[in-house]
Amino acid sequence: MERTSVNQLQSDAAGDLPVLQMKSVTKMIKGKAIVNQLSFEIRKGEIVGLLGPNGAGKTTAIRLMTGLIRMTEGDVLVHGHSIRHDFRQAIAHIGAIIENPEFYSHMSGLDNLKQYVRMSDGIAESRIAEVVELVGLQNAMDKKVKAYSLGMRQRLGIAQALLHSPKLLILDEPTNGLDPAGIREMREYMRKIAEVEGISILISSHMLGEIEQICHQAVVIQNGTLVKVTRLGAQDSTENEVSLSVRVDNLAAAAAVIQAEEGVRLTGTDEQHSELIISLHDRKVPELVASFSAAKVGLYRITEHKQSLEDDFLKWTGGNRIA
Amino acid sequence: MRKFHLLVINEWVKMVKKRSFVVPYLILLLFPQLLGYIIHSVSPGSFASAAGFTREMLLPTGMGQVMTILSIIGTAGIVAKEHSRGTIKFLLIRARSRTAILASKYVTVLLYVLSLTAVAAAGILLSGMIWFQTGGGDTGIADILLALLYGCIYSFVYVTLAFMLGVLTHSTGVAIGLSMFLLTIDKMVISRSFYKYFLFPNLDLSVYGSGQQPPMPGMTLGFSIAVLAVYMTVFLLAGFLVFRRRDVA
Ligand SMILES: Nc1ncnc2c1ncn2[C@@H]1O[C@H](COP(=O)(O)OP(=O)(O)O)[C@@H](O)[C@H]1O
Ligand SMILES: [Mg+2]
Repeated sequence: MERTSVNQLQSDAAGDLPVLQMKSVTKMIKGKAIVNQLSFEIRKGEIVGLLGPNGAGKTTAIRLMTGLIRMTEGDVLVHGHSIRHDFRQAIAHIGAIIENPEFYSHMSGLDNLKQYVRMSDGIAESRIAEVVELVGLQNAMDKKVKAYSLGMRQRLGIAQALLHSPKLLILDEPTNGLDPAGIREMREYMRKIAEVEGISILISSHMLGEIEQICHQAVVIQNGTLVKVTRLGAQDSTENEVSLSVRVDNLAAAAAVIQAEEGVRLTGTDEQHSELIISLHDRKVPELVASFSAAKVGLYRITEHKQSLEDDFLKWTGGNRIA
Repeated sequence: MRKFHLLVINEWVKMVKKRSFVVPYLILLLFPQLLGYIIHSVSPGSFASAAGFTREMLLPTGMGQVMTILSIIGTAGIVAKEHSRGTIKFLLIRARSRTAILASKYVTVLLYVLSLTAVAAAGILLSGMIWFQTGGGDTGIADILLALLYGCIYSFVYVTLAFMLGVLTHSTGVAIGLSMFLLTIDKMVISRSFYKYFLFPNLDLSVYGSGQQPPMPGMTLGFSIAVLAVYMTVFLLAGFLVFRRRDVA
């Protein structure tokens, strides 16, 4: 009796624990830090992008999170359990595909999934059918995996990762090798899975554009070091600073209005399109529009200026293009 | 370790689903028939009885060696192939310890050897009954069982060696190649007294039969069993320690 109540207390407390905590994780290989003091968190229900150019250390970071390799320093907590000291408790909350999904190709998709069912405790009989339907492989289950396309293997990989109902799904470059239609399809799956399964997802990619739309948060790394953590897209609340591009009839007059307005910063000017790039709090936007009207500045368009992260990202990744 | 048998089932399923799975069993069933026929035609008097034929054939000097070769080929890749195919990643990110996963593989290897031994014994016995007299001779069931045991031990040592090599090198080729090479030279004798502590002269326990000279002075059945036990322990320790600790790229 005592045991259960203690467990219950723990699981209640775990309710607001981050699903994943990277704590100053360092991995040295032959004297070189492949991952260097990397820290970030993934909260419940979040989709997080792990971004960085090729060779940035994304796969290595994922191997560390899943215990495939040992860290030199730091720790990874999965739902509060240390992957170093409490591996089985920690890994039970993770489902992952690391680099390419590799299966026993001489066996059918179903036989492959059954392997992983036998390796986890308490997976209900009906769970296989459930995940197979979620990824849309119902008609391919009896085919040998060697007859699968890359897209099908990716989906079987996702099915494999979801079997034990993890709290965190980790996908390493899931769009690699897929055509644009396949990439869009993959994004749809991600969104659907996050919704249906109610879990957090970590997606690594070297292409910001491919996953930007579905991520709540981007963690950008380069040379194994954290460069930036940014909130993205739809999840912006009114508390956040936004970057807008404003097209006006008179740049000078508009600039004067912006200057006078408290909490609004002018970050750039595009004379060719007669646009100003400004940065301000979401809740200041209506005030600014009112000020423009008052000053008789003609307003043609206000659009969200999303370039900044992408520009930065290209700048970081551009140098490594040749690699 | 609660659901350890499920891990063993997994390993067994992976082996059985290979298309080549039945080949070694067929070889062990059919080869003795051919061998029996040849021996029968060349010198019909070689074996006094089917039991005598069976005993002789099971030993590491007979079909026991073929059985060992097939065991090595069948199991050397059980760890290395998971690495080379990349399936090791899905295998190790489950709520199972690496020790349990490797142990399930080793148990499967031993079961495989036992199953080959059983089929080989059946094939040999059948051949003996076809080509030689069923009754007569002085070989009893106890002698056959003992030969079976010695044949098994010989195979166990070799598959354990190949298993360790597969874990250490991640290469099926090295594991098969090196253990097969050792298998072909293990009958060689170096007449120096330190050689009795080597693996080779201790591998065939049948040499301690009634009234035979030990392979080297100072060697006894107990001595050989102890030497084999030490080598097996070293092979397994090396394999498990490395498998538990090593980074999986
Ligand atoms: N086992 C290893 N030994 C030496 N260098 C390695 C090893 N694994 C990865 N690296 C190096 O670490 C860097 C990061 O690799 P990786 O994590 O695969 O990057 P990403 O997945 O972001 O493309 C690369 O420069 C790679 O060459
Ligand atoms: Mg990578």
